[in-house]
Amino acid sequence: MALYNFKKIMVVPTSKEFIDITLSKTQRKTPTVVHKHYQIHRIRHFYMRKVKFTQQNYHDRLSQILTDFPKLDDIHPFYADLMNVLYDKDHYKLALGQINIAKNLIDNVSKDYVRLMKYGDSLYRCKQLKRAALGRMCTIMKRQKQSLEYLEQVRQHLSRLPTIDPNTRTLLLCGYPNVGKSSFINKVTRADVEVQPYAFTTKSLFVGHMDYKYLRWQVVDTPGILDHPLEERNTIEMQAITALAHLRSAVLYVMDVSEQCGQTLEQQLELFNNIRPLFANKPLLIVANKCDVKKISELTEEDQKIFADLTAEGISVIETSTLTEEGVMTVKTEACDKLLAHRVDGKMKGKKVHDVLNRLHLAVPAKRDEKARPPFIPEGARIALDVIHVGYVERDLEVEMGDDYILDLQKYWDLMNQDEKYDVIPEIWEGHNIADYIDPDIMKKEEELKVKAGEYETDEESEDEEMQEIRQLAKQIREKRKLKIVCSKDKDVHGPRLPRTVKKVERKTLEKEMGDLGLDMTGKDDSHYAVNARRSRSVGVAKKRKREASVIPTSRTRSQSASRPPRDQSGVRDPKMAKQAKKLMKNQQKDMNRQGKKGEADRHVFDLKPKHLFSGKRKSGTNDHR
Amino acid sequence: MFPQNEHIELHRKRHGQRLDHQERKRKKESREAHERSHKARKMIGLKAKLYHKQRHSEKIQMKKTLKMHEQRKTKQKNDDKTPEGAVPAYLLDREGQSRAKILSNMIKQKRKEKAGKWEVPLPKVRAQGETEVLKVIRTGKRQKKAWKRMVTKVCFVGDNFTRKPPKYERFIRPMGLRFKKAHVTHPELKATFCLPILGVKKNPSSPLYTTLGVITKGTVVEVNVSELGLVTQGGKVIWGKYAQVTNNPENDGCINAVLLV
Repeated sequence: MALYNFKKIMVVPTSKEFIDITLSKTQRKTPTVVHKHYQIHRIRHFYMRKVKFTQQNYHDRLSQILTDFPKLDDIHPFYADLMNVLYDKDHYKLALGQINIAKNLIDNVSKDYVRLMKYGDSLYRCKQLKRAALGRMCTIMKRQKQSLEYLEQVRQHLSRLPTIDPNTRTLLLCGYPNVGKSSFINKVTRADVEVQPYAFTTKSLFVGHMDYKYLRWQVVDTPGILDHPLEERNTIEMQAITALAHLRSAVLYVMDVSEQCGQTLEQQLELFNNIRPLFANKPLLIVANKCDVKKISELTEEDQKIFADLTAEGISVIETSTLTEEGVMTVKTEACDKLLAHRVDGKMKGKKVHDVLNRLHLAVPAKRDEKARPPFIPEGARIALDVIHVGYVERDLEVEMGDDYILDLQKYWDLMNQDEKYDVIPEIWEGHNIADYIDPDIMKKEEELKVKAGEYETDEESEDEEMQEIRQLAKQIREKRKLKIVCSKDKDVHGPRLPRTVKKVERKTLEKEMGDLGLDMTGKDDSHYAVNARRSRSVGVAKKRKREASVIPTSRTRSQSASRPPRDQSGVRDPKMAKQAKKLMKNQQKDMNRQGKKGEADRHVFDLKPKHLFSGKRKSGTNDHR
Repeated sequence: MFPQNEHIELHRKRHGQRLDHQERKRKKESREAHERSHKARKMIGLKAKLYHKQRHSEKIQMKKTLKMHEQRKTKQKNDDKTPEGAVPAYLLDREGQSRAKILSNMIKQKRKEKAGKWEVPLPKVRAQGETEVLKVIRTGKRQKKAWKRMVTKVCFVGDNFTRKPPKYERFIRPMGLRFKKAHVTHPELKATFCLPILGVKKNPSSPLYTTLGVITKGTVVEVNVSELGLVTQGGKVIWGKYAQVTNNPENDGCINAVLLV
């Protein structure tokens, strides 16, 4: 049995759309180019492919429609009957039958024409045959216009039907129109059914869900039923009858005691007796609604007798008012209890219950002696229990005060001075955060708490000289470090920070620093760094050079290099021009940088043949950029 | 849970519509003309051809309705008040004429049959050469013998047709090209029926094709018209009539014919 999801049926297109979609799909998805001079088998294959493709498309879509729509024999009889009432079983089956026939016809057409095409000896003949085949298929679809329209409407209505589970616990409301069924369901569940003073406001079944005893219950609201024989009933009433007939539920027959619905109590009783056969095997409850207008005790003798008779038969009659909500909960609990008992009874009589009963075992401890040992509840718990059950809670106050209610938690505060309950406490006062000053001895108390918690004490006397020296040194190091950080921050270097090795360190600073740290820096003339410093000044003298003629005295080289301006400053008159030159340079480099090129000469192309320019059909467009 | 039944309409009833709903609707409708013209200008390709064709027919309809509205304002004289077949008073007594006409018609038909000349809807048809209708089939160990021919057009073979032994058959009529039914149109009733073919009467191109049963455009075919329920003057049921083929069956895959009355 296929599982149907009424909400997931595919949209049924109109016949014109269907034809357009399929033909344009054929044109797009099959090869489009063929020439006269091709070999005949190639031409034949080309046109046969088109015919088969179109047939395949039609076949697929029609099959999907046929499988999506539920078969009336496969679904639950409640839904089958409901669909019969709403959509007319015959019409529905006929429409689907027509679609099936169309599918078969299209298959036959395709087969015939493919067979004929094997004898096609010219491009013209094959082309004409293909044209004839596609034309035939589309004519078949054109004839299905009515069926497709009908099925689309059925689909839309089906997807909006309420999901009623026929097997679970259900309460069914029935009665004349305008008696208060929809108001009842609005009160008991979260369903939002329209309530209006005219008859037949509810035109179809509505479902709402509620909880009772940790179980989920369905409440089904039906349209009102009038009192005439079954043959004369219209579609709306038939839906209610279908629900009554197929759902195994508790029936709540709603009556209007005040006769505001326009029917007298006798007429309501008549209807009740007429549909009595539908209530067989179902727990029944009579809801006497609109009791805020008129109570049963205020009725005349004959009317009261009606209710007395019903009670005598064993059907409970409960007075309710959906306006004041009196009796609604009683109805709910009683109906649910009755239905539960009924269902449990049914299950006990069945065969499956033994599987469960066999696994259940209630163990009761064996009695040791004759002493009675009842359960013990201490006094305090008993008092608390009483309070919970009886006490006047905040909610009751809220209900009483209605719109004026304000949540006032300060009344529960327990202060020494009760007058101060409603004082306003500021958060910040005179620039101080009040939360910090809750207690005048708060600091001391914190200390005490810490000691109490067991914080480790610093044992200062037990340290020896070594430790003290180390501590002294560490303190010095910390201070000096902070000083250095501050100094370096003050330096305010613009641009990249060069490492220390780039800069030349002068002999004086080196000796001074080392002296500060405690090293003896006197008499260091023949140390390595001093010798190197002297050496760098006179390079040409110390070493022998081969090319003596071309040797340029270092001082002059340096001085000439000093006199030759760097390239970015040569020819530049003023800072304004320099700035402009720099700007030009940056502009030139922009494009290269954006494309990630290494330099001017980098002509590497990362993607020589991008896929999107070299794929696809040659539609309108050029080769430059398609 | 899921919204039930007419939830959309219910929502609209309870909450009304957006505050700017009317404004938006009006603006959208006024934008439609611009969007349609934009679409018509920018569309290309096959889609555009189909769209333009459809739009053209729409415009013709619109113009017609406009004209009709204009016409209603003026009143016109109704000229043909005299029904057809109305006879002036001094001719009312003449009845015998019609019977004589039928008799003379029968005589004329008999004369035509003797002469072998028929009035047909397609008097002149293009003659089909042998190379067109018959394809040479090569046989033999070295595929040298070329005495067999295969018919490439649609043909009709009778019910009791059995092939000659394959070694001796000169003309091959493939099964895929054998048709039994024709779509015959009655010229006066303007209705088309799918009638079984009884035989090929005459193929205008060549008597050879007639004997082979080749059906091309212009061929006169005999069809079984018992479905139509025609009756002769004498009360006999007519069950065979001639029809002339009006299309190229090998290109269309079906035989369309017009009944000769």
